[in-house]
Amino acid sequence: MPIKNRLADTHAEITNWRHHLHAHPELDFDVHETAGFVVERLREFGVDDITTGIGKTGVVAVIKGRTDTRGRVVGLRADMDALPINEATGLDYASKHPGKMHACGHDGHTSILLGAAQYLAETRNFDGTVVLAFQPAEEGGGGGREMVNDGLIDRWGIQEVYGLHNMPGLPTGSFAIRPGALLASADEFEVTVTGKGGHAAAPHQSIDPNVAAAHVILGLQSITSRNVDPLASAVVSVCALHSDIDTHNIIPQVTRMTGTVRALDPDVRDFVEARVKEIATATAQAHQCEARVNYTVGYPVTVNHADHTEYAAAAARAVAGDVTTDFPPIMAAEDFSFMLNACPGAYIMLGNGDGPMVHRPEYQFNDDAIPAGASWFVELVEQRMPAQ
Amino acid sequence: MPIKNRFAEMHADITAWRRDIHQHPEILFDTHRTSSLVADKLRAFGCDDVVEEVGRTGVVGVIKGRADGSGKVIGLRADMDALPIQEATGVDYASKTDGAMHACGHDGHTAMLLGAAQYLSETRNFDGTVVVIFQPAEEGGGGGREMCDDGMMDRWGIQEVYGMHNWPGRPVGEFAIRTGPFFAATDLLEIEFEGVGGHAAKPHETIDTTLMAAHAVTMLQSIVSRNVDPIDRIVVSITSFETSSKAFNVIPQKVQIMGTVRTMSTEARDLAEKRVTEICEGVASTFGGTARVQYKRNYPVMVNHDEQTAFAADVARSVSGQCDEAPLVMGGEDFAFMLEERPGAYILVGNGDTAMVHHPEYNFNDEAIPAGCSWWAEIVEQRLSIAS
Repeated sequence: MPIKNRLADTHAEITNWRHHLHAHPELDFDVHETAGFVVERLREFGVDDITTGIGKTGVVAVIKGRTDTRGRVVGLRADMDALPINEATGLDYASKHPGKMHACGHDGHTSILLGAAQYLAETRNFDGTVVLAFQPAEEGGGGGREMVNDGLIDRWGIQEVYGLHNMPGLPTGSFAIRPGALLASADEFEVTVTGKGGHAAAPHQSIDPNVAAAHVILGLQSITSRNVDPLASAVVSVCALHSDIDTHNIIPQVTRMTGTVRALDPDVRDFVEARVKEIATATAQAHQCEARVNYTVGYPVTVNHADHTEYAAAAARAVAGDVTTDFPPIMAAEDFSFMLNACPGAYIMLGNGDGPMVHRPEYQFNDDAIPAGASWFVELVEQRMPAQ
Repeated sequence: MPIKNRFAEMHADITAWRRDIHQHPEILFDTHRTSSLVADKLRAFGCDDVVEEVGRTGVVGVIKGRADGSGKVIGLRADMDALPIQEATGVDYASKTDGAMHACGHDGHTAMLLGAAQYLSETRNFDGTVVVIFQPAEEGGGGGREMCDDGMMDRWGIQEVYGMHNWPGRPVGEFAIRTGPFFAATDLLEIEFEGVGGHAAKPHETIDTTLMAAHAVTMLQSIVSRNVDPIDRIVVSITSFETSSKAFNVIPQKVQIMGTVRTMSTEARDLAEKRVTEICEGVASTFGGTARVQYKRNYPVMVNHDEQTAFAADVARSVSGQCDEAPLVMGGEDFAFMLEERPGAYILVGNGDTAMVHHPEYNFNDEAIPAGCSWWAEIVEQRLSIAS
């Protein structure tokens, strides 16, 4: 069975929703208009229950099946937030808000899940309950974590949870997934190196924190090149370095660097954290400076559960025929990981066709992927909770 | 079907051969005694043809089956060389040669393939031809490459090849295999930096080669930490650092560093070669010196072929009731050259809870012999089965 016929019928309508959301991007937790739009649509569909304000601005909706003999509850999730990017697509429905853009396709994800919700509310051809979770602040704010902390999984009794993400470079409407780690953890660190400021012409009377910081950056390279098992995957990137001085003749007192740590395994993640702290502290000390390390744990590794990966792949196979089940892991992070840590489930990649990568100002979500994406959500529900 | 009964009977004989070879380890291509021992035994078993000096000191034996309707020819390969290690096992059959030791179990590999050759010569219960291959210089010398370059595959019409390695840490006689890339490509680095030597009290009159080389070692870390895809696998290790003078008051004219690069993909291998050259030449130029970079591509990635791997795993299951998925190994293996010329597969057989290979306390576990020999015999009898 390929695309659901009904979703071919509603394709134009879903595309219109998507273009509306695209023209009105909102950042982080400030997705008030988007959440309002989602609620309006869900009301029109006649879903059984709508709750707003979960995880600050998230929306949760319930659709009951024709029967409920086994008490099954499946959660489906989409993200709603945009990015602080100036759009450069030249589309007639381009962002109306300068400096904000749906450059990661969350407009598409939200529309796809709305399309699936419309279908499911019309047909209710399943035995159990569907819980829809529309989350804010996927792009760094941890909206998924907030929703889980607000009781998303327990309050609605979600037994398994699924999400999708569009993927430029994969054929439009195709699916790719892998069991286990699919996306990396993402932590942030800030190292503040304090020396002794002074005149740049008399370095011997100062303790230069810039030289110490440069050595820290070099030392940090050895974590992935020497310490981590080459068969594991980790990234340590120093992304910013700034001293408290911006003249050319003063050795600064303090220099700060910020960076990120990515890993595909929780133990590797802990190990890298320990090494970042050791290297920064000891290297600074070797240069007679002092380093303070502020390590912030961010999104965890996105780990697909083995059984649920199979369920997700089976639904994708029903929609698209062939499914890639050994898609290589990606070092980017995803806060659906908080939901997968709280509840079994799986996350799948939906082909967006050729085109610019996500987070690029030229990126475009591909509306031709909508029927496949919405059919996958519907198929999952109907396969996991077959009608009696 | 478990272990073949005949190998239970021959176990003591094969063990005695193994220990004899163990007492007389020979390095690289200097496997003269071992090669003669192998050739004599093959002749005594009644092999149809025995040819020495293939790939310098390699030995090839031919065993024809009872029938030859299939026209199939299968190659079975073992390695014969030892390592330059001082043995510390304390066994009564320990190495009689100072500084040489069978610390990788090639004594066991050779003895097991001899056992299989005896059985196959006795029974000839197959339809086709078996070519047994005993190679020298697996440990860095490229004996496998030499045998291939001598035209072995064409000369004996070999259609597919199989190999086996013992594996400490796996239960004795239990098998593990994986398809696709399995062992890493192993490249060798030799870099000579040259500056301007001089008096250590007058560094400003010299170009300090030690400092130059130290910067290069530091910068080489960035190939792994910055250049190669973190999902890919790579190791860059600098293993030797030697100044041309050893005095405490002389800045040396030259520094030679040596090392190894291990990769699992052509992309990573090409990138590593390019970056090693750029970094060393660039750093030398920064300091006003020169770098002569020799990047020697040694063993390629050893890639198991899908069909033969599935077959080898089935055979392993028929012998020991199991066959696990083996992890990737960053070590190199020159059976890779044979697998580049012909389809085939390489399998690991458990050596029990012993010291790791290349350790002075390592010893091949004779209890693995019946399983290893049975796997060889079954490979032949199942692949070249006589039509009933």
